[in-house]
Amino acid sequence: MTDPNPVPGGPDVLERALGDAHDPDNPLGYEAVLAADERAEILPAGEAALDAYGFNAEYVPRRLGGRLGRIDRLMRMMRTVSRRDPTLALGHGFTNYISGSAMWTAGSDVQQKRMADILLSGGKTAAGYNELPHGNDFTRTDLTATPSADGSHYRINGRKQIVNNLGRADAVVLLARTGAGPGNRSHSHLWVDLTQAPADRLRRDYRFPTVGLRGCLIGGADFTDLEVPADAPVGPVGSAMETVLRAFQTTRAVLPGMMVGTADTQLRTVTRFALDRALYGRSVADLPHARATLVGAFLDLLAGDCMATVACRALHVLPGQTSVITAVNKYVVPKVLHRSSQTLGTLLGANSYWRDGRYGIFQKFYRDLPAITFAHANAAVCQATTLPQLPRLAATSWGTAEAPPAALFDLSAPLDDIDYQALELTSRGADQLTALLHDHAGGPALPPAAARIAALLRADLDDLGGRCRRLPPSEHSVVAGRSGFALAERYAQLSMAAACIGVWQHNQNGVDPFLRDDAWLTGALARVAARLGHDVGALPDVVEQRLFAELTAREEDRAGFDLDRSRLAPA
Amino acid sequence: MATPAATPETTGAETTGVETTGVETIRTWLTERVAYFLDVRPQDIAADDLLVEIGLDSVYALTLCGDVEDEFGILVEATLAWDHPTIDALTAHIHSELAAR
Repeated sequence: MTDPNPVPGGPDVLERALGDAHDPDNPLGYEAVLAADERAEILPAGEAALDAYGFNAEYVPRRLGGRLGRIDRLMRMMRTVSRRDPTLALGHGFTNYISGSAMWTAGSDVQQKRMADILLSGGKTAAGYNELPHGNDFTRTDLTATPSADGSHYRINGRKQIVNNLGRADAVVLLARTGAGPGNRSHSHLWVDLTQAPADRLRRDYRFPTVGLRGCLIGGADFTDLEVPADAPVGPVGSAMETVLRAFQTTRAVLPGMMVGTADTQLRTVTRFALDRALYGRSVADLPHARATLVGAFLDLLAGDCMATVACRALHVLPGQTSVITAVNKYVVPKVLHRSSQTLGTLLGANSYWRDGRYGIFQKFYRDLPAITFAHANAAVCQATTLPQLPRLAATSWGTAEAPPAALFDLSAPLDDIDYQALELTSRGADQLTALLHDHAGGPALPPAAARIAALLRADLDDLGGRCRRLPPSEHSVVAGRSGFALAERYAQLSMAAACIGVWQHNQNGVDPFLRDDAWLTGALARVAARLGHDVGALPDVVEQRLFAELTAREEDRAGFDLDRSRLAPA
Repeated sequence: MATPAATPETTGAETTGVETTGVETIRTWLTERVAYFLDVRPQDIAADDLLVEIGLDSVYALTLCGDVEDEFGILVEATLAWDHPTIDALTAHIHSELAAR
């Protein structure tokens, strides 16, 4: 199906603009990326290339002159940059969208226009949330915005720390306390033009050095009686928590899918190493353990992409249920990719420690990957978002919910532009994604090996349902004991399996024969089952060989390992 | 087709019934529910206590919304307890929502 209103550009166009990653003379290649990391800089040529492409338009809704319509497109664009350099992706960067998502959700027409103008002219906006004493616990925010007695302005006092680009942004969407009470109506977003702030009222020349994403300009700011106009609040005063709960569903959908690009480069690097390097008279790739490790990482990448893609599509197809789906996504995909990165590092051995040379990019991405995990909405927060909803999901949906629409999984199905207002704060017990573990009536029958694993996972969901329904309320919150978090972990793994099943079932008429193949589905489900403690044994030899052949063919053909098999820039 | 999201639970409404769900019934149910969350006795909770100040954090508030929907068969915003921060305020809101059906 063709989009009646296509958006110009796209991942392939951008990838070609970035050029051959392995060319030592390419100012946007890995050598340049590594050199910038050594200097703790964002790759200057990378920023220039993204500006030349007009990347900021990807963050701005089409109705405001940008190219943002589908969140899965934004995710794929971020993935393209992140495959080259996650520091560039976040540092150029994604905070434009984090702040943008709050603005597109709650801002007035005038405010939205102002922000769109800044971004479309190549400027930057920061997302001013974090304060070191409170981390992701936004309700404890101390920075205050106090209205003046005559109502003509607000006065801001306090500090923000660990905020990407705060030192160089043109404006910031700032989370401020506008009420004294401890509740959820005491906070507001304020739109603050930083270029107009007097030096004695705003200090923002801070930089927090980091282990991963070393080049990112992670800064802070001190506000001292900074006056901003009375129309600075974004949305009604006291509505920030509500806005955050909607807007950040979209960021939680995008970031894990972006990380799939980082994982792609890691897997490519280690696959090349395994093919090149001879040990005991044969290549590393001929060693059974090494081969199994590479295939496992490939399967985890595909499963991660299934979850991330479904999360992005769900924002359009099931906006009532994405408070849960996107939280699960932001928890489970980074976790699986991080584990994969560690395992691949073991295979790379001493080369995983070298900061330059043929495989040097691995160690940089190894440091960057976990930093993306806690850069925004960390794992505990995502689990704490999921956990309290589990008992109602169990009671209302598990085992009985209808299968979701095919458009949730069908990669060729069109999607409407994102509607932030349609996103619900809770799912009210609705969970159609995990119906895929139960209800195969809507799609083709699973291949026998996959069906056997799906039966195990279905029994897991039933068991989980019983345990969630018995969970006392004291175990629902962020201070829950380990047992509560263990339930959220199992639920996340089952959601990922359901996403894989859905993608397999609903792309049987797609153009990619590999996606129609049984091998990846069986393999991906086996990985999930193993993580849940099932003894499913090693993959059958024939399945592993099929997957390994696919992996090496993609490495040689410069094709991505993701669902799209993204085309990498030619040599 | 109806999805679970569009199908309010009606079990509670069937047992209590619109006409019989008086203010006191709602207040008593809410007080017992909040007491259960906080692991205290119902008589320890005053109807005008700010719930957030006696320990009902945002997670409990969310869970309470689900319980209200299931018990009374109405749809409420997830922000229910933010905007109606005491047992009294919640009672009045739920009562008016039931009356408006």
